Amino acid sequence: MLGGGLIMGAEDRLLPPSVPFRFFATAILMHVAGWAMLLVGADTLPGFQGGLGPGLAALHLMTLGVLSTTVLGAAFQLLPVATRRQLGPVWACRLTWWLYTPGVVLLCLGMAMQTSWAMHAGGCLVVAGLAVFAVLVARNLLQVSDLPAVTGHVWVALAALLGLAVLGLLLVADVDAGFLSRRGPFAAAHAVLAGYGFMGSLAMGFSYVLVPMFVLSQGVPDAVGRQTARLLALALVVAAGGAVAGSGVVAALGGVIGLIGIGVHLRAILAAMETRMRKRLEPFFRLVRLAWVLLPVSVVAGLAVALGDAPELTAPLWGWLLVFGWLLTFVSGILQRIIPFLVSMHSGAHGGMPVLMSRLVAQPPLTVHAVLHGVALALGAAGLLSGSALLVRAAAVSGLAGALAFAVFATLVFIRARAHSSKSR
Amino acid sequence: MDDRTAGAAGGPPEWLAQMLDVPPLDVRPMLAVGDDPLLAILHAADEIPFGGALVVDAPFNPSPLRRILAARGFSSYGRNLGPGHWRVFFHRNGRQDWQGDAEVEVGPEGAMTWREDDGLHIDVRKLKPPQPMMAVLRLLDSDEAGPQVVVHHDRVPQYLFPELAERGWRTARMTEEPANVRLWLEREG
Repeated sequence: MLGGGLIMGAEDRLLPPSVPFRFFATAILMHVAGWAMLLVGADTLPGFQGGLGPGLAALHLMTLGVLSTTVLGAAFQLLPVATRRQLGPVWACRLTWWLYTPGVVLLCLGMAMQTSWAMHAGGCLVVAGLAVFAVLVARNLLQVSDLPAVTGHVWVALAALLGLAVLGLLLVADVDAGFLSRRGPFAAAHAVLAGYGFMGSLAMGFSYVLVPMFVLSQGVPDAVGRQTARLLALALVVAAGGAVAGSGVVAALGGVIGLIGIGVHLRAILAAMETRMRKRLEPFFRLVRLAWVLLPVSVVAGLAVALGDAPELTAPLWGWLLVFGWLLTFVSGILQRIIPFLVSMHSGAHGGMPVLMSRLVAQPPLTVHAVLHGVALALGAAGLLSGSALLVRAAAVSGLAGALAFAVFATLVFIRARAHSSKSR
Repeated sequence: MDDRTAGAAGGPPEWLAQMLDVPPLDVRPMLAVGDDPLLAILHAADEIPFGGALVVDAPFNPSPLRRILAARGFSSYGRNLGPGHWRVFFHRNGRQDWQGDAEVEVGPEGAMTWREDDGLHIDVRKLKPPQPMMAVLRLLDSDEAGPQVVVHHDRVPQYLFPELAERGWRTARMTEEPANVRLWLEREG
């Protein structure tokens, strides 16, 4: 690595803990807010195919508020350590949060209350925050050549981010101006690029680092990582292009390519896990495994939407499986592992013994969360398929209680970390 | 982690970190067919500028060669990588620390371990993550680790520290140079 670029010192690679943890804390609060908003809008969800209101707001509280916010915090923390290259100035990372978080709140309030100015202002702030993030990450990736499995997926995610941001702003502007003849195809392409492109690609790319590290296994071969990034990129272009063009068959073809990419990804991850030193998987893996099942299931539901099968049933079910099923399940599983891990890592960054992860984690709230989250997923899917608002409401109550249990877990981590820090002073 | 800047004591020479990427000149095939590789090695050595490196793979510890090259200003460090396989790193530095050796074992991840006066050493440089972490934890979990292990790494292994703490190990000392981080790990209690 000598002469291969700027190698940073240890202190430079670890961002101040306030940077990642402000994102994680925000995600945990938005998780509660998202389920609460879903409860408010539960009656509108069966048969939902778009339109403003608390249902759309709940969806965006989850996607922007929980999923993307977690991804931003994780990327800021993990990318510089993994790539050994500076991400950028700390103030820029903080600026991302200051632009992005108020933007999400405004945008979602605007959607819930059907207030144009709030949606416009919120949408612009969100895009501005994401633009700062994209510039920081792109600068980092341009200096890296030795992590193709991860960087390939991050580049795909950044390209998808550009597309979804443009489509998102178009959709917001169209609420007042009404220049789109049909909003549905643009909303579908926006959802594909957001769910499988930006968040999905980052989840797949970061999995190539995080899963082997958590289970102590061999990594996924670079060639496989490159292959899945290429397949995903092709799938996104075909699926989103087909959606915008109004061609369900082309969009479905994109879904099939995506399924192939997902198959290669999961097979590689499972093969790597076969080599693991940590034979007994930690409890957070129950959510990760459920998410891995729901990822291809969500694509199959998307195929049904693309091929026009009963859209009043398949469209909301696809959204449910994509956002609440695959992404929220995966992110909440990973989040419950990386929060104590990063707290432990930071606690030892300036000398002294790091606080033990096992002492930070309170397992009962996590078990409660896992059970309630699973119940919420099942009730929600049943409610959307049967057209029962009551079941969707019950799903929201279960999800909300699970989110509160998750918040209890996170609060306990920080309380215990603070106690360790006061003791070791 | 109370000494990040102090010079390393014991273990392989500091210059070794810069030699790990140098492709070796493997003379084993020549010796296998009865050819003497000395001229080829001396010719290659003549091309090495001051500060440069030559790496030779041989079927035995080539002591005569090391003395010949020492006379030409090379220090050398040899590693026994296994039966019939020695790797000798030559560094043209005016033979400041002209000869050192280590009997090494190569683990499943490709990490090299050897024993010195200050404990068991493990070199995980140039391994692809997460193999360095796996190799270190595999060693610490084994019976051969003893009370102190010295880790040779090419980066500060931030992700390793929580796992060390979980296993009851602490980082007693760390020295840090570009591509050459050394950690002295001690078992708690």
